Amino acid sequence: MDSAAIDGQRVRPVTVKANSKSPTRIALTRIRQDRVAMVCFGVFAFFLLVAVFAPALVALEGQDPFTQNQDLIDRNGQPIIGMTGDHWFGVEPRLGRDLFARWAYGARPSLMIAIIATLTTTIVGVTVGMIAGFARGWVDSAISWVIDLVLSLPYLLFAMAIPAVIMAAMGLSDDAPPEVVADVRFWSLIAALTVFGWAGLARLIRGEVLSLREREFVAAARVLGVPTHRVLRKELLPNLVAPIVISMSMSLPGYIVAEAGLTFLGVGLVEPAPSWGVTIASAVTSYKALPHYLWIPVLSVTVLVLALSLLGDAVRDAFDPKTRR
Amino acid sequence: MRRLRSAVAVGAVVTLGAAACGAPKPSNSGNGSGSGSSISVQANAIDPAAKGPAPAVPGARKGGEVTVYATSPPSTFDPTDIYFTDSNEIGKLLFRTPTTFALRNGKPTLVPDLTDVGEVSDDKLTWTFTMKKGIRYENGDEVKVEDLEYAILRSFARDVYPNGPAYQNTYFKGGKKYKGPYKDKDADFKGVTTSGDDKLIIKLAQPFSDLPFYMSFPMFTPIPQGKDTKQEYKNKPLATGPYRFDKYTPGTELKLARNDKWDANSDAVRHDYPDAWTFKWGQDHIKTQQQVLNSNGPDANAIDYNGVDASLLGEVTGAKSSQLLKGESPCTSGIQLDSRKIPLEVRKAIAKAYPYDQIWKAAGTTELSAEPASTVLPPSVPGHKKYTPVEDLDGQGTGDPEGAKKLLEAAGKLNFELSWYYDNTQPVPQQVSQVRADALKKAGFAVKPLGVASAKLREKKSDYDASVNMGQSPAGWCSDWPTGGSWFPVLFRSQSIEEGTTWGMLSDSVLDAKINEINELPAEQATAKWADLDREIMEKYVFLPSTYSKMADVVGTNVGGAEGDPTMGLPFLPNVYLKS
Repeated sequence: MDSAAIDGQRVRPVTVKANSKSPTRIALTRIRQDRVAMVCFGVFAFFLLVAVFAPALVALEGQDPFTQNQDLIDRNGQPIIGMTGDHWFGVEPRLGRDLFARWAYGARPSLMIAIIATLTTTIVGVTVGMIAGFARGWVDSAISWVIDLVLSLPYLLFAMAIPAVIMAAMGLSDDAPPEVVADVRFWSLIAALTVFGWAGLARLIRGEVLSLREREFVAAARVLGVPTHRVLRKELLPNLVAPIVISMSMSLPGYIVAEAGLTFLGVGLVEPAPSWGVTIASAVTSYKALPHYLWIPVLSVTVLVLALSLLGDAVRDAFDPKTRR
Repeated sequence: MRRLRSAVAVGAVVTLGAAACGAPKPSNSGNGSGSGSSISVQANAIDPAAKGPAPAVPGARKGGEVTVYATSPPSTFDPTDIYFTDSNEIGKLLFRTPTTFALRNGKPTLVPDLTDVGEVSDDKLTWTFTMKKGIRYENGDEVKVEDLEYAILRSFARDVYPNGPAYQNTYFKGGKKYKGPYKDKDADFKGVTTSGDDKLIIKLAQPFSDLPFYMSFPMFTPIPQGKDTKQEYKNKPLATGPYRFDKYTPGTELKLARNDKWDANSDAVRHDYPDAWTFKWGQDHIKTQQQVLNSNGPDANAIDYNGVDASLLGEVTGAKSSQLLKGESPCTSGIQLDSRKIPLEVRKAIAKAYPYDQIWKAAGTTELSAEPASTVLPPSVPGHKKYTPVEDLDGQGTGDPEGAKKLLEAAGKLNFELSWYYDNTQPVPQQVSQVRADALKKAGFAVKPLGVASAKLREKKSDYDASVNMGQSPAGWCSDWPTGGSWFPVLFRSQSIEEGTTWGMLSDSVLDAKINEINELPAEQATAKWADLDREIMEKYVFLPSTYSKMADVVGTNVGGAEGDPTMGLPFLPNVYLKS
């Protein structure tokens, strides 16, 4: 026997190994090659950086989002300056607060609420969906019934009611100071989005689990006596990565729109909290005189949501074994 | 008015400033006010000889349908319950009253309408009004003097009609006890009687020289007892004026049609130029104002009485200035300090620190909607005198925190706690409260603003036993009729606290006596004395005046004859016509 030949045979599997990637890694490679996805990711990263470094940016400008510069406002409430070196986006009518500072700080609640709500809905949705799908029987029936119930509730009405309920539950009366109210509104928004966001994902995961649990590797694990929680975490969860990642990337822009929309309707964040929704709501009335007052936050929300939606599409395509590009 | 018109009421009570906007109106020189103010003084004239038909409006023609827009719907159309200025103005098309105001050169003049302007007895306690004959309701029935009497009796049923004006309870004989014709069926009420078929006799408990002015309220329009449907009457009141209810959807829409039983020859004020009126409520005011300014199609025939929004300022002062209807308003706004809880030295310090300009801007006040105030009586009320403002009570300036701090230190009251209620569900009142709190804190006060939801605000603000010590209601006051008699006796007597309409919670028997004395004088003699009293009260620092409101509304390009009604601060509807 020629030792070299044996060595040569041994070399071959090494070259084959380069092709064996997990579905997640394949997806990541695909996304990296997708130019649109990378631009969208860049936009998302830009807004994320603005939100994270808002204090530094605003310090660079030399302003803050709460100081009222009423000397820059005339007797009719209109700003007497446009965009200047001191006030990059100009100032608000009536109060004269710096618009750049309010824009930079305004990115924070939008992104924070969207990210926290995405995380909580994902955790709740995945957990509930897995339990329902794996347990079957009456547990499944009960959970499915709850999912149907949640999906059938009028979302807007509840979103309006939740802040009041939370205020009452915390023992706060109507005369709480605005800062506290703003805080409560922040968390009640997340609560509202979570309560109504988990059910769709739970239903999706339940379906996946129903089909996975009949597969051989799950049956084998159970025959070996692996405890249920371990089966769920080690056997099923890795196989659910694709639907989870897709759902997260699609819901993130949805929550940003929901935050801005609910705030615009007056049931989200409130003054004095800087938020794009708050700015849009107050800018609508001065659109004619100060178009940029409205356009900056509206364009920011639009661009961010568009970028995240396209990124979400790209993620879905990347995880889908059927897409060939 | 007890309250500002509903649309403004929210603004005035809550934000201490009406909403709207603009460039200063060119000074009305030659209006005889001599005050230098851009709001002119109303003439307190009575013309007992005025006769119908009303002088024609130049250029007016008959025909067409006028649309009127407003955001906030009138609370009621029951004449007895009407106190807001919007329903009062619309009532001028529907209800004829014993007396009414005619506009002459933009000034209100009291003229006879259903009766004469009244004759008073020597002891000033009995008034006799003689009714005209041949006036008919929309259903053709003749108006009887008993119907006038019944309408007054009806106004005492305050359990059914709690919102209407209440001077009759104080001034009419037995008015404090009488509970109206529903509860007190057999009561021996002597306040109102009739004699013959045309004499209405009113007996008073105390002299009330402004009674003929009061008789111009819709409350005094005749209501036949047989047609009184109590709570239902507001949905289909019987008209005596040039128009009648055609179709009414409460809160949304009211259509008026011509009342062919109305006789122009008997009416010294009203016209019936348009064929019909449509009032539409509940739409966003910026949208409707934009429609009216654009005047496309039927919107050329439209009027919006919300008060021009600040965002349309550029348009209405520029290219579309001909569509801007400017006028006077009978109101003063400001903030009151509770004299029971805050000592005089501290009140002076508050006035010194008060951020008038900042609040003006934060509240969205504009030069079209208001001008800075420095007196109790607004310029449109005779008796208004623009005296040199009492120190720090001129409605202007950014406040002087250092000066105020010195005053506080001198009085040994540093960190004196000030608290007030504000609406924490609306951004503007919240910001106004914040601006006020910041300025007062800087001057060495401890501040405690209490946020309240909109729905509860009125109740909290009218509770004079609440823990707060400033900013209770009313924050704005409008004349019920253009004399000091609808201001000082209502706002500054001890009983005002009980009646829920005080500025400053004054309880001073000397002042009470002084007010009563002036109030009993005939209107002409009282006028000058009210002006002196105005200053005397300001010197007590119980009320920090901020603005006199002005009227600024928009009308469509085809609307003619529109002018401001200074008694209401709204467009005067009876003169409106359509140009083509």
